[in-house]
Amino acid sequence: MSYAEELVAALGKEKVLLDPAERFVYGADWSPRTPEEFFPPDVVVLPRTTRDVQRTIKIAFEHEVPVTAGGGLTGMLGGAVPLYGGIYIDTTTMNQVIEIDRKNQTIRVQAGATLQEVNDAILPYDLWLPHQPESKWVSTVGAAIACDNDSTFGVRYGKILNCLLSAQLVTGTGEVLELGHRKAHFTSSGYKLKDLLAGSEGTLGVITEATLKLEPIPAMRRVDMLVFPRLGAAVDYLSRLLKAGLCIEAAHINCKHRLKFYTHTYTQKFGKEPSIPAWAEALLAISFAGDEKVVEAQRDYALGLAKEFEAQLVEEREIVESWWTSKYTLEFEPFKQKWPDSQVKKKFGAADPGVPVGRLEEFYHKFVEVAQKNKLEIIGMNAYLEHPNSIGFSLSCAVYVDYRDADEVKRFRDFHDELSKMAVAFEGTMSTFMSDTYQKAPYLELEHGESLKYMREIKRLFDPKGILNPGKKFGREVKKG
Amino acid sequence: MNELGEFKDELETCFGTSCGFCERGCPVYQAIKIKTLSMKGRNRTMLGLIQGKFEITPAVVEAAFECTLCGNCDRWCSLKNTEHTRAFREYLLKHGVEPMKEHASIVASIKNYGNPWFQPRSARNKWTKGLDIPKAAPGKQDTLFFAGCTSAVMKPLTPSLIASAKLLQKAGIKYSTLGQDEPCCGSTLLRVGQREAYQELEKKNIQKFKSLGIKKIVTACPGCYTTLKKSMEDNKTGIEVVHIAREIADLVKSGKLKVRRSSERMTYHDPCHLGRLGGVFDEPRDIVNAVANLVEMPNNRYEARCCGAGAGLQTAFPKLSRELASKRILEAKATGATTLVTSCPFCETQLRTVPGMRVVNLMELLLDATGDERRKAPSGADAAQFSSLS
Repeated sequence: MSYAEELVAALGKEKVLLDPAERFVYGADWSPRTPEEFFPPDVVVLPRTTRDVQRTIKIAFEHEVPVTAGGGLTGMLGGAVPLYGGIYIDTTTMNQVIEIDRKNQTIRVQAGATLQEVNDAILPYDLWLPHQPESKWVSTVGAAIACDNDSTFGVRYGKILNCLLSAQLVTGTGEVLELGHRKAHFTSSGYKLKDLLAGSEGTLGVITEATLKLEPIPAMRRVDMLVFPRLGAAVDYLSRLLKAGLCIEAAHINCKHRLKFYTHTYTQKFGKEPSIPAWAEALLAISFAGDEKVVEAQRDYALGLAKEFEAQLVEEREIVESWWTSKYTLEFEPFKQKWPDSQVKKKFGAADPGVPVGRLEEFYHKFVEVAQKNKLEIIGMNAYLEHPNSIGFSLSCAVYVDYRDADEVKRFRDFHDELSKMAVAFEGTMSTFMSDTYQKAPYLELEHGESLKYMREIKRLFDPKGILNPGKKFGREVKKG
Repeated sequence: MNELGEFKDELETCFGTSCGFCERGCPVYQAIKIKTLSMKGRNRTMLGLIQGKFEITPAVVEAAFECTLCGNCDRWCSLKNTEHTRAFREYLLKHGVEPMKEHASIVASIKNYGNPWFQPRSARNKWTKGLDIPKAAPGKQDTLFFAGCTSAVMKPLTPSLIASAKLLQKAGIKYSTLGQDEPCCGSTLLRVGQREAYQELEKKNIQKFKSLGIKKIVTACPGCYTTLKKSMEDNKTGIEVVHIAREIADLVKSGKLKVRRSSERMTYHDPCHLGRLGGVFDEPRDIVNAVANLVEMPNNRYEARCCGAGAGLQTAFPKLSRELASKRILEAKATGATTLVTSCPFCETQLRTVPGMRVVNLMELLLDATGDERRKAPSGADAAQFSSLS
């Protein structure tokens, strides 16, 4: 029997898609790739249980067939896109809530549940999962872990790893493992194998279930925007707020290009210029959340400190609310104006490096220089604070890319690679929210040096035949003999 | 109305963006979880097809027709997704796909009987008996009450038309009907991809309305409402199209219409064509609130979930269609409401197939609250008509 026939026999035909039209839709995400680089999987599996995933991987292991698992397919760098055909496991069919433990503030879910589905399920208990990327409506728990994506509320709650207590994994041999510390928030026991899953891109196994730590929903939130004469001033300001003991919920620094995006939209909609000074070089969006008195006191204190940094409050609430809406709530009208209208002709392409906090401004100028050198239209740079109560940020260095133009895609890749390598030279990291995928795989040693061989060994331990998401992090190893 | 090829840029935009925000509210995708049945996947399927990446396969046909065109995907997106799907259906029919047999019979019925239900034209007029409504004629009333095929010929639905008619009379609105000459609005033809048949019908309808001097059309059917409204506007006829809830809302708001209010918890189901696609949200809620305690389902207004009856799904995919209805009733039950109010003949029929929830038409609810004794059938023709309906 072929592996496809074995899958049908093992899972039932309703869980196995072979029609070319159906397979076609599982072959692409948001990453800029030319139509020639588009390879749909040969088979799509729609599992309902961990057992289904285990059976699938055991068959793939026997036949040495590539297995790529995916969620919402909203990745920006092709992390869950199959490069060598084979089996695609669509985990979104595994979206059941297994347990809500209100007293201990945890939830156990199948990993294909979207982050929004998790929050829908726990809303009646006045709890939420604060890991919130913009793609939360579609991004799944498993994908959030495997991609280690960003979160709007990172400066207060961190990213998915700060919420992840335990995860179930089906390895490349079909073994089912539970990694983590049950409902305890942390452990000093053993090696923290669970942490290996963050950013693992499905190369160590397919995550099938997860236990997540939940937080009480704050009673209210205040969001503001401030403009600064320098990017560095916004960083210094945030550092000062943390020193003051304020509990910031979200903080995003936007460069001048990004600022222009918002002011341009405002002018288009209202037919007048917003009262934002020409000297503004950075736009900071910041929120506080909690009980009303606490929020108001923190906000007042924060705005009071702004003067020391030559900052000015953005008075146009429409700009603030439009940004917040597009980032978080996705309400109808403001959302419609922004997305995907802004990508009608070209799509977003981004590099996601991380640099030391004192070098943000310097790196921003490099970003502009590298984008211009590669003749790419700049969208702008965002610095998202993603580490709890600390100034550490991820960077999104975004440009427009016409994915139908092979030359432009190549220039985008050159741009991405140059910035990634430059970040390491800046004593930073190549990736902060998109992981390595195929894009950074060829030069991973630059960041990890000798430790890369240990990573290879870990990969072999979990996936001895190299069938899991081949081509991601490491090049695909060709079979010998 | 565009052909599929004209949407290529939009399909490319969706392919490039890949946000998938349309998936969460798509009732069909959430029931089946195959991505070709979400709008993102359907857009990709269309693009792959016109790019020649694959041939027309059974999955392609399912992607096109296994959709209620409820427009929930449009709520999250600036692309004209439901228009893509309509054009997709048309494209397949033009490229050799046989119409689904269930849809073919609907089309034949509209051509032969002027309604999709194989009912003789004479059946269309039965509901008006005893109501003393004048027939539209040049120089007479310029407001037309457009009953719509489904409510007019399906006996269990005619009380909603009677209620509508009586409420219009209470509002002091002078109107006429077309009686058995009322045509089909063509909504069904459009939804199942029969654009040419629709355009032929649309032309005749416009001629008819114009020749009668109609200035305003009031309808109680959301499908007729969106179809006629778009048609009248696109063709610059100057004829206004209004849904009955909006037409009589002032009557309720101003207190001109005295109603008995009960403490019953009722929920309101937004029909896709009236709410999301037609923009009428508040007036039906004003009416329910005037009569009872309105409790909202979590998915309401723009985010209301489709009942599963639309765009030929009920006829061609009955099992899936029933599943969607069950989900919606489950959502309604969770509110603690004992009655679900709606204002669409398709939603009413569909949701009534699920046991455990009383489903009431908005106009009937309002008329009952006025103490109108329509069910007691006072005399003559009224008596005969009402007894057969109760």
